[in-house]
Amino acid sequence: MEELLTILNEIQPDVDYLNCDELIDGHYLDSLDILSLVSEMEDAFDITIPTVEIIPDNFNSAQRLWEMIQRLREEG
Amino acid sequence: MLSFSSYFSSGYLAVYLPVCVLLYALAGQRGRRVVLLLFSAVCFWAVSGKLIAYLLLSTLSIHHFGLWLSDVQDRSKAELAAAPKEERKALRARAQTHQRWILALGLSIQFGILLVLKYSPFAVTNLNNLFSALGLSYSLRVPRFLLPIGISFYTMQAASYLFDVYRQKCSADRNLFRLALFLGFFPQVMEGPICRYGQTAHQLWEAPPLRYQNFMLGLQRMSYGLLKKMIIADRLNLLIKNVFTHYENYDGIAIAVAAVCYTIQLYMDFSGTMDLAVGAGQIFGFQLPENFQRPFFSRTIPEFWQRWHITLGTWFKDYIFYPLSMSKPLKKLTSKARKRLGSHYGPLVAGTIALFCVWVCNGLWHGSAWSYLFFGMYHFALILLGNLTQPVTDKLTGALHISRTSLPYRCFQIVRTGLLVCIGELFFRANGLRAGLAMFERMVTASTLEPLRNGTIFQIGMSRKDFFIVALLLGAIFVIGLLQERGIHLGTRLAQALIPVRFVVYYGVILALIIFGAYGDGYVPVDPIYAGF
Amino acid sequence: MTYCKRILAWLVFLAGLLGLLLLASRICIPKNNDSLSGMEQARANGILAEPPESIDILVLGDSEAYTSFSPLLLWKDTGYTSYTCGTNSQRLPYTKTMLERALEKQRPKLVILETLAIYRPIKLDSIASDEAAKYLPVFRYHNRWKDLHWNDFTTAPITATEQAPYKGHTHNETVDPCLNVDYMAPTQEPAATIPLVNQYYVNAIQELCEDYGAQFLLLSTPSPVNWNYARHEGIAAFAQEQGYEYLDLNLENVGIDWTQDTFDKGDHLNHFGAVKVTKFLSNYLRGKDGLIDHRSDPAYGDWNDKLKAYENLISH
Repeated sequence: MEELLTILNEIQPDVDYLNCDELIDGHYLDSLDILSLVSEMEDAFDITIPTVEIIPDNFNSAQRLWEMIQRLREEG
Repeated sequence: MLSFSSYFSSGYLAVYLPVCVLLYALAGQRGRRVVLLLFSAVCFWAVSGKLIAYLLLSTLSIHHFGLWLSDVQDRSKAELAAAPKEERKALRARAQTHQRWILALGLSIQFGILLVLKYSPFAVTNLNNLFSALGLSYSLRVPRFLLPIGISFYTMQAASYLFDVYRQKCSADRNLFRLALFLGFFPQVMEGPICRYGQTAHQLWEAPPLRYQNFMLGLQRMSYGLLKKMIIADRLNLLIKNVFTHYENYDGIAIAVAAVCYTIQLYMDFSGTMDLAVGAGQIFGFQLPENFQRPFFSRTIPEFWQRWHITLGTWFKDYIFYPLSMSKPLKKLTSKARKRLGSHYGPLVAGTIALFCVWVCNGLWHGSAWSYLFFGMYHFALILLGNLTQPVTDKLTGALHISRTSLPYRCFQIVRTGLLVCIGELFFRANGLRAGLAMFERMVTASTLEPLRNGTIFQIGMSRKDFFIVALLLGAIFVIGLLQERGIHLGTRLAQALIPVRFVVYYGVILALIIFGAYGDGYVPVDPIYAGF
Repeated sequence: MTYCKRILAWLVFLAGLLGLLLLASRICIPKNNDSLSGMEQARANGILAEPPESIDILVLGDSEAYTSFSPLLLWKDTGYTSYTCGTNSQRLPYTKTMLERALEKQRPKLVILETLAIYRPIKLDSIASDEAAKYLPVFRYHNRWKDLHWNDFTTAPITATEQAPYKGHTHNETVDPCLNVDYMAPTQEPAATIPLVNQYYVNAIQELCEDYGAQFLLLSTPSPVNWNYARHEGIAAFAQEQGYEYLDLNLENVGIDWTQDTFDKGDHLNHFGAVKVTKFLSNYLRGKDGLIDHRSDPAYGDWNDKLKAYENLISH
């Protein structure tokens, strides 16, 4: 989780990631941020994020992102 | 059979829709499904006649391919469960490839029909031009097809279903009729909104009983659309038609006025049609996705495209932008570029490639002509420019101590975005790219304030009174939009208001439509005078 | 809200709406029959300003009806009074409306229907909107909100005072010859079919004439662009079946010279063609039941003045 927050802060520093739960719906992250985020997460956690997973529901909060990462790790 | 050409035809509004609602109200649940399916077929037939075959073909094909995909998915799941762990990866990859082929085949049938019918005349014409430019005395016959109305919309919807089954976002539908209703539901089949299977298929099939409250809210929504279309869009046509067909006779300022008028007309016409579609859905108790979210309050071009024709934008985002930018080569590019160019410009490289594809598709989706392609490229360039200069503008506003959230700065952004959109629509409407460029040049170089000062602007087709009535209603729509931005919905409030208040408002709307509507003599496109004697 | 209350509310609402529409109609309807007052088809509606029971022959139809036939020339030849209510591309529902309007004040002895209108397709939704506009003129005249005056709220609707100068005819001396003179050659083609809706309207018009004691005549005026043998056969068969009198001037010896007598390559007749057609009709109609020569009647002196003005125009 710590690592994820570091990545997020690097990409877009002005957001309170611990409390925000509308990163996408509130337009905090745009599509380019998502591209960076996906490539960073894939490198950092050794996962592949398929396009199906790129839906607002998975990206709206740090918590949801973390849940997705863990799920993808298990599926491996 | 009573035919109709748009959702605003009296045949649709006075006969098809009311009869459908009446039968729907009288029928039981299965009957209601039948009524919806039947009217979807009848309406499509009334508009496009035998071309309904394409819709049926699309339905049958996605039904079949959906089941095929889900079959393969089920089989591979069973195999995976049985296989030892070390073989799973290879198995999964093989199943993936297999599914990919099925998806590609299914999509190529959907888009194949669209490409042949809609784009082959354009392609062949350009090929012939190329031949003659190369000095070859060889030319192909330009094919001409009758396009079934709404093909660009239902093709998108059909393709999204196949994608969603492939991605296991929804399961394949065994029920052919449910799928047919999802694809052909008559209030939206011609002009959208482009719905996803997950959004509407099951609600439509549910066919809930008619409820008075829904009925009234739907009617309300539909009348709002009628106001936009009949009073504003049709009236503006008087001026737009003249300026765009004979732009060389008009002052640059008149062209600018026409460009703004056309942008307004397009918005009023399209969002009005959406009000009719969503409103009709609401009458039956369905919730169709919204296509517009007050786009002219947007502060940037990307935001504009998140609020204008939303269902098309999200379609491109979900099925073109992300799959492309998340494809292996582009992903690699992104992580490499990030290391070299930093976190702003890094993802921009791959993003831009994907964005370029989106805007080529977006331009061509609107029609097969160079001017539409130009329109797509124009917006691509604006978005790219915005992305490239973002760090600079960030610094600049910081250095000048301009608050990005202050009202004046927001207003500046909104006006700027609006003007950029109007310029784009000028090219969109112009009769070909060459005319568009000539009009733009004239607008920039040959503008004087004379037509405004001496009043000749009021002689192009719209008088002062026409402008006045348009401005009045636009003002009202602006206020309604402003309230919606703040989360206040006048419509639902009205439905709860006292009867006398409701009566007054309803009377006002109906009388405004009848008196100020641009219909009847002088508003239909006038034929050459002698021909019609 | 209970079911009954809801229905009651709807009834009250609709009644109120009807009242408002009647009021709006009352305001929007033109207050005279000329185009300045906003009247539609002012030339044809000039008939509203003719003195009561003064017109003996009423000609209905589309543009053929007012270009091919000149009432003042008929007056000169026979002393019969006539008026042509033709309007551009007139369709039969409007023809019927024109007849109903004319019959409010006139008792014609003969009604002539030019046959091209019979073939014009009638759209179902246009019937509905025309009928609505008959009872609630706001649907036709809503555009007058732009030119409303105070007197629109105070004066009574249509008091017709404006007469058309040539009794509905338009004068045109331009020549643009037509080369297709052989257009009436008999062919093997089957007779043209008249849609059922159109047949219904012709019959309704004829019945209206019968009710008011007018004879009914179907007339095809010469036009190579619009007429042919199949169309002739279609009308002839229909007329025979219904027992209507039918005269096709395309087959009669009217003496049209297509190099001289049309102003738009055979679509419409010009003045010289109209002279020949009217002459032929004068002879055809002379002595028909109920038609009276009014030339020596001082009550019709106005017709002679109009004729004089018309002849002045021709000689120039």
